[in-house]
Amino acid sequence: MSLSIEKKYREDKDFWDVKITGEVDIYTSDKIRDTLNEMIKEKISEIQIDCKELSYIDSSGLGVFIGILKKLKEEDKNLVVLNARSNILKLLSITGLDKVFVIREN
Amino acid sequence: MKGDNMGTYQGKVEFEGLSQGQKCIDLSIPAIPEYVSVVRLTASVIANRIGFDFEEIEDIKVAVSEACNNVVVHSKKEDNFDIRFISESERIGITVKDNGNGFDLAEYTSPDLKNPSDHGLGIFVIKSLMDRVEVNSSKESGTEIKMYKNLL
Repeated sequence: MSLSIEKKYREDKDFWDVKITGEVDIYTSDKIRDTLNEMIKEKISEIQIDCKELSYIDSSGLGVFIGILKKLKEEDKNLVVLNARSNILKLLSITGLDKVFVIREN
Repeated sequence: MKGDNMGTYQGKVEFEGLSQGQKCIDLSIPAIPEYVSVVRLTASVIANRIGFDFEEIEDIKVAVSEACNNVVVHSKKEDNFDIRFISESERIGITVKDNGNGFDLAEYTSPDLKNPSDHGLGIFVIKSLMDRVEVNSSKESGTEIKMYKNLL
């Protein structure tokens, strides 16, 4: 199972541009957690996660997003979930997390 | 794997007998994160064979992974745990069973949206995605999560 994370800080608009490709489960969620934590240590800004190529996520991955959002909220920053597939949108809606994260298409 | 006791097989757990028309597939995997994807892929193949559509298969994959995650978090790491898939003509049944120390079911309520937590979402997600779910947990016999989804 593969997971890759691309990240770039967009200085012009002050946000982290992140793209996750593959599956985020109990095994791969540590990698996401470490990467996101490193990013906010470097610069605490809004994080936009493009989920177009995210094929699978469960509560272990969503838990990572919640943990990161809590840290972002201390500085009044958001976590934006972009272009999530329908199965992932369903999971966000079931858990009520669609009201906790900013959900957007672009 | 570093030469420790990972994957020690502690003896098979007992599952209920099968009814007519039910076929079963049994897996036993180490209670460590790396192997949960094996269960997820197996679930996907079996659900596909029964005739579930893409979206339903995704739901089944999430539900079975949540049950396995629960075992990986709560059970003794050196043990294997067991998963039984029951394939029927119009239904899939999945039982995930460990020999761990159980967990307090009372902790697992609906998520609190005002104060989102990164714990306790799993059982709630399984109940939302599957048609019928039974959870039994005790200190003596560990935890068993049974879930069913009907082909509509």
